[in-house]
Amino acid sequence: MSETPRFDALVIGAGIAGLQAAVDLADQGFKVAIVERDPSIGGAMIALSKVFPTLDCASCITTPKMAAVARHPNITTFTYTEVLSVGRAGDRFVASVLSKPRYVDEEACIGCRKCEYACPVEVVDEFDGRLGARRAAYIPFTTAIPQTALIDADNCTLCGACVRACPTDAVVLDQRPREWQLEATAVVAATGWKLTPVGAKPQYGGGEITNVLEPTQMERLLAPHGPYGRVIRPSDGKIPESVAYVQCAGSRDQTLGVSYCSRVCCMYAIKQAMLLSGSLPIADITIYYMDIRAFGKGYEEFYRSAQAMGIEFVKGKVARLTENDDQSVTVRVERLDQFGQVEERRHDLVVLSLGMLPGEDVRQRFDLEVAEDGFVMTPQPKDAPCRTTVDGIFVAGTASGPKDIVDTIVEAGAAATEASLYISKMIAAAETATAASSADVTSPAADRVEVKV
Amino acid sequence: MAEDAAPKIGVYVCHCGGNISDIADPETVARFASGLPGVAVARTNMFMCSDPGQKLIADDIQAGLVDRVVVAACSPKLHELTFRSVLQRNGLNPYLYEHANIREQVSWATSDHAEATAKSESIVAAAVAKAGRLQPLDPIVVETTPCAAVLGAGVAGLRAARDLAQAGIEVALVEKTAALGGNVAKLDRLFPNQESAGELIGRLVDEVLHDERITLYTLASIDRAEGYVGNFTLHLRQKAGGVVVDRAARLNGRTIGAYRPFEGFMIGDHGAAEEGQNGDDERAVVIEAGALVVATGFEHYTPTKGEYGYERLPQVVTLPDFIELMAGVEPGSRLEHDGRPIKSVGFIHCVGSRQVEGVNKPQADGEINEYCSRVCCTATLAAICDLQEKCPGVAVYDFYQDIRAYGRGHEEYYEKASKGGAVFVRFAGAEPPAVAKAPAGDPCLVTVRCKDGLTWGEEVEAGVDLLVLAVGMTPSDVSTLVDSLKLPVGTDRFLLEVHPKLRPVELAVNGVLVAGASQGPKDVTEATATASAAAAKAMTLLSSGRIELDPFVATVDSQRCEGHGLCVEECAYPGALVLTEENGATRAIVNAALCTGCGACVAVCPTNAIDVAGWTLGQYEAMVDALLAEPQEVTP
Ligand SMILES: Cc1cc2nc3c(=O)[nH]c(=O)nc-3n(C[C@H](O)[C@H](O)[C@H](O)COP(=O)(O)OP(=O)(O)OC[C@H]3O[C@@H](n4cnc5c(N)ncnc54)[C@H](O)[C@@H]3O)c2cc1C
Ligand SMILES: Cc1cc2nc3c(=O)[nH]c(=O)nc-3n(C[C@H](O)[C@H](O)[C@H](O)COP(=O)(O)OP(=O)(O)OC[C@H]3O[C@@H](n4cnc5c(N)ncnc54)[C@H](O)[C@@H]3O)c2cc1C
Ligand code: SF4
Repeated sequence: MSETPRFDALVIGAGIAGLQAAVDLADQGFKVAIVERDPSIGGAMIALSKVFPTLDCASCITTPKMAAVARHPNITTFTYTEVLSVGRAGDRFVASVLSKPRYVDEEACIGCRKCEYACPVEVVDEFDGRLGARRAAYIPFTTAIPQTALIDADNCTLCGACVRACPTDAVVLDQRPREWQLEATAVVAATGWKLTPVGAKPQYGGGEITNVLEPTQMERLLAPHGPYGRVIRPSDGKIPESVAYVQCAGSRDQTLGVSYCSRVCCMYAIKQAMLLSGSLPIADITIYYMDIRAFGKGYEEFYRSAQAMGIEFVKGKVARLTENDDQSVTVRVERLDQFGQVEERRHDLVVLSLGMLPGEDVRQRFDLEVAEDGFVMTPQPKDAPCRTTVDGIFVAGTASGPKDIVDTIVEAGAAATEASLYISKMIAAAETATAASSADVTSPAADRVEVKV
Repeated sequence: MAEDAAPKIGVYVCHCGGNISDIADPETVARFASGLPGVAVARTNMFMCSDPGQKLIADDIQAGLVDRVVVAACSPKLHELTFRSVLQRNGLNPYLYEHANIREQVSWATSDHAEATAKSESIVAAAVAKAGRLQPLDPIVVETTPCAAVLGAGVAGLRAARDLAQAGIEVALVEKTAALGGNVAKLDRLFPNQESAGELIGRLVDEVLHDERITLYTLASIDRAEGYVGNFTLHLRQKAGGVVVDRAARLNGRTIGAYRPFEGFMIGDHGAAEEGQNGDDERAVVIEAGALVVATGFEHYTPTKGEYGYERLPQVVTLPDFIELMAGVEPGSRLEHDGRPIKSVGFIHCVGSRQVEGVNKPQADGEINEYCSRVCCTATLAAICDLQEKCPGVAVYDFYQDIRAYGRGHEEYYEKASKGGAVFVRFAGAEPPAVAKAPAGDPCLVTVRCKDGLTWGEEVEAGVDLLVLAVGMTPSDVSTLVDSLKLPVGTDRFLLEVHPKLRPVELAVNGVLVAGASQGPKDVTEATATASAAAAKAMTLLSSGRIELDPFVATVDSQRCEGHGLCVEECAYPGALVLTEENGATRAIVNAALCTGCGACVAVCPTNAIDVAGWTLGQYEAMVDALLAEPQEVTP
């Protein structure tokens, strides 16, 4: 691209926060660029099963938002493109972005998946929590946007099967990464979260016990078209008769450097437990916890229905997880409700309720200050929760700390308002400056702030 | 479309991941549909609402295969609009669409696979029968009043008013009391950053008072409201002493005021009383607004007499009382209450929240408060930290169920309070602590007895000099507004949003938005975030000056109408149906913007002169016929 494209707003990240902020800004008439480093928009939420507290399927909420973004006349979507840096240039921001090669011509690809079916290489599928497989030529998931294939160069054997299979000659194996720039008046950082590492605690097996799962893996097992289509134990395909959750496995633990509460783990564990008791009606489900933080609207009621369904809640600190010969896992728990007495129980499957870490190094990349917890610092948390330390860059969703989808979506709306007011102010100021220089008259800027239609 | 051209109906059956297809079989349903009269194509998809799903419909319309669409999927509440807009984008009238709910009404409610598939078929047959009789409709276009009304001047209302005004929208900000700042103004330092409430309120009030697009009314309450999105009318009553801050008042410099701790920001030199607009009289104010933001907040739960000793023992106070008490305590000084020195303080969480049927007394409406009030845990811990800092020697006992210090910077208060020596005792909701007056001669004044979940249910007893009840939140009374606009309220009595994820700040009445704790317990961060999110919605609604409403309203066939007027009596919406003289004859006419399409008039019309567009009697009959038709064997 020879000319630097210009937008009113740049939204970094197309998780549910970025999608909502982009739609809210675009609906007000602003031109928005949304940039996502993954091959599809949708973020973490699209990989979830059903979502608390309404138990809607995650796809049913996310896919229409994705579609709304993809076809909004005021939104330009860039996928497989990473924002490398954001810097101020006068009254606007310049972002450097890196478009990674798909090795597929985006214009030519019709999403027929013929390349995928032809590809002989099987690779572990990250989207399915590393429990399933995909091909080296693939469309990330059924509802991905765009429905454009990509080829994973790390695993491609250059056998040429996809080239031959493609009906539109869209495979171009000599594509290169392209670094380019775009300009925007305001920026919304919606860079999300990543899971605390499963191997962080040696006492919990250091990530080496096969039947100790990450919660995102359980989401995939429970998802409508997950890796196995049902819930089975990954090690041997056994239908689990007892499943345990270890709460605060990655949070509220200073030894891991994560002293904060990750805010969603209690609720997703309860949710998964409820879904499990639906799909495994005879299984025993136990949640080992310190406090059940069901604080949101309708959450306490949700917690109570889980109790009524027979899910066992044990107040205790899990000291150790060990693998047994039959591949079950022994949970050693200090019962906080029984003078700290130690008890050992066997479970077929254990899920670690891991916490959230920041999804992006915003300090290094966008020059945003971060708080002690590593998430984007919000210097005015009470009355302007979306403001950052840089005027004109706003934050939405889990980029500023763990939160659930409801709180994320609300905050995205708030970030859109902040960005909208900021952009209008900048436009008015620019007009005033132009008017002043041409006619040498000054008009009060405040009167000229208006919402664009 | 020509009236007589045979409709070409496309039926699209959704798997909804497995939500539908795990129980009912979409393929069978689609095969069945393809044999129904008028059906041109019947297809299935994993997620009809996704882009690939929508594309199926778009391609069929573009190819001229279909001119009416039925999607069999989830509840229309979720995605009816999604699919209507697919029609619109592809050049079809959006009302040539019919939604069949086979998720909530079938697969989530039926466990037998064959039954579920058969039931889905009937529902689809009914939708197809109706689709064949659909007529293109045009949305009702109304002009919008370029003004928003914000009710409540707590942090949420102040923030929403400021956002809207800065976006160029005129705002009427209506506050029931004489003070601005709501419940936050009755606090001291706020978690999580210990900012003073006065500073926070001061900053928000400053922006509001200096923005001349905002007209502020204090001591004003709502008598009733009427209208519809774009054109609401609020009838207010302003008490004597109420202030109006408008452009004129600003010119006269009447915007000065002062923050008074534990009262709020008062307008006027010496408080509100001197700034009354109309001497001693109440006066009526009428406000026109295109959108409403309800930010009426919460009230502290008031314990019943005797609940944990409240109002029986003078040493039992609520958390807000305690916060006010502590604000007056100098660091290092002796803590006193009721003239007596305090050496130990107990705190009980979840008072008025997380109540248990059969254990806690029901509220006035017969219901218990099952919900968690979200902020009281951290507020209690923050109060404990404050106490430990100012009065290091005082012993602290904290009776809790779960410590819900979930937010950013909240856990730190928990750690600090624990390190500071607070003793935590865990009770179960079904067995709350028992509070009694300490026996004479006891060094303490009150005893709290409870089974401790942390020590195997051991019975523990703590003697304290002061007992603080962490009272929860209950919604403010907005019944006049709720009743007159028929706003939805949840079982928890807070205002109920349309959908917590899809439309979290919108109420089911179009144009009415919700912000802050009126929707449910929230801390300040969350309250202001909802306020700004609500402002975004209002800005979008009001920015173009016109709004399109669904055309599902009553229509009168003036040939058949004989002017009996039964319909007018039946109609619950003032002004929606009226009788007029037309060429000497009396006829009913409909105000489309006020009509909600409820159909009450249709039922009473003796001459069948009224129908609701998009839901006509003929369409209903066709649906019923299809539902009652004998199930037919379909050959694939
Ligand atoms: C196991 C589990 C289950 C959960 N279940 C629920 C539930 O049932 N209900 C609920 O309410 N919440 C649930 N949550 C929480 C929910 O996942 C989050 O609230 C939500 O995903 C937050 O969305 P987001 O947009 O902030 O972040 P994300 O979804 O992480 O989106 C951020 C996006 O930004 C992109 N990005 C980051 N940096 C860059 C860059 N430099 N350039 C370009 N793109 C970038 C990322 O690729 C990503 O797509 C659950 C969480 C977990 C861990
Ligand atoms: C004990 C306690 C301590 C707390 N401490 C903290 C803290 O440290 N940090 C923190 O972040 N949060 C704290 N909170 C939460 C905080 O109080 C709320 O988040 C905040 O008050 C919500 O603001 P709001 O504007 O939604 O509602 P409110 O503050 O309740 O304001 C609502 C306003 O609407 C007005 N109103 C009511 N009805 C009507 C009507 N019909 N017409 C017109 N006006 C009406 C009211 O008079 C009031 O001014 C605490 C809460 C409690 C209970
Ligand atoms: S926030 Fe804490 S004290 Fe308040 S109701 Fe919830 S659990 Fe109880």
